[in-house]
Amino acid sequence: MSARIAVPVFPGTNSEDETLRLLRDCGGNAELVHWSQASKLARYDAYVLSGGFAYEDRIRAGAIAAHDRMMDYVIEAAASGKLVFGICNGAQILLEAGLVPGTGPIRRPTAAFTRNGPAPHFICRHVYMKLAIEPVRCAITAALPEGALVPAWAAHAEGRLAATPEHLSEIVGGGHLAFIYASANGIVDAAAVPNGSALGCAGLVNREGNVLAIMPHPERDAWNFNHLDRRESDDVLAPSGGSLLFRSFVQALASA
Amino acid sequence: MTRAVAIALKIPDNTAFTAAVALRRLGVGVERVERSEIYFFDDGGDVPALIERITADETIFNPNTHRLTVLDEAAPRPGEVWIEPLDPVTLSVSKGDGEKAATSWRLLGRNDASLDQEALRAAAERLLCNPAIERAVY
Repeated sequence: MSARIAVPVFPGTNSEDETLRLLRDCGGNAELVHWSQASKLARYDAYVLSGGFAYEDRIRAGAIAAHDRMMDYVIEAAASGKLVFGICNGAQILLEAGLVPGTGPIRRPTAAFTRNGPAPHFICRHVYMKLAIEPVRCAITAALPEGALVPAWAAHAEGRLAATPEHLSEIVGGGHLAFIYASANGIVDAAAVPNGSALGCAGLVNREGNVLAIMPHPERDAWNFNHLDRRESDDVLAPSGGSLLFRSFVQALASA
Repeated sequence: MTRAVAIALKIPDNTAFTAAVALRRLGVGVERVERSEIYFFDDGGDVPALIERITADETIFNPNTHRLTVLDEAAPRPGEVWIEPLDPVTLSVSKGDGEKAATSWRLLGRNDASLDQEALRAAAERLLCNPAIERAVY
């Protein structure tokens, strides 16, 4: 039987459907698990925390969800080596839970995806994420080519990586910087960073390589109909680049 | 002269309620939480003029939902912890600049008694403050 993937749904999560659809399209055996069914989470082999505004981002984005009972199971699963993948609000929750970069105790965050800069506004912008680690450094990216460019949509008001200089050094030194923003041709420069994120960070991985948190939404650029750079002749229903990361995730489960 | 202004909801504050529930789950003996946003204004010497400016502008204040208090001191009162962003936001409020300086959390126990410093620290460390982007001031 194939590995079971849970997509936890907190009150306020809003991207669970497209996340679930893409996981299934990539061959994943995925199901939604709502907050009232938290205890079911123990039965799953992997977890994808999708975007939204869990608990309305009360106090801080991801702060309340990080202490939800569902996260007790996710934290335990991550400690046992299961794969955990967070997107946007899911990524914010993983940082608040201390799972990534994972340089401090659990639920004592050492970094945050916080208010965009320099202008503190919500952005909705098509972006590219460039893989900044060896693909095998993170189980979820292992099937991607080196330096892979993954198209995605950045849709957030709080996606800027912020941490103290010491913790930023730990992120770099520990190889936690998984994805950085880049232009469509792979050039890394400040113009490609939509939100002022430190280190140009789009995604972080933990030390063990089984927890990945990314801010942009690859699941919103998973088929050509929502890929901005498609050609006239492209099949609009064919997969686009955003699906690559999800395929790599599902492949990692199949080979585990 | 710098003035601190506290703006709180006068309608039920769901965030404060959620914080109280979460803090109780984390072992902090809190019965009720009061929350307000703290703004600093450098040109706040004339208090009536400052209040008039803020209320007329309605950028940070809506008379239907908010209560505005000009604080005697720009510092937390007993039972309060202020969570200050390390990187504050300057905003324009009707021909002047203000700075969103902090979120004030007042933690109350039984009979609305203020919680002590130890409880405030626990609340800040476990939930209210992310030290990567904020600092707690007691």
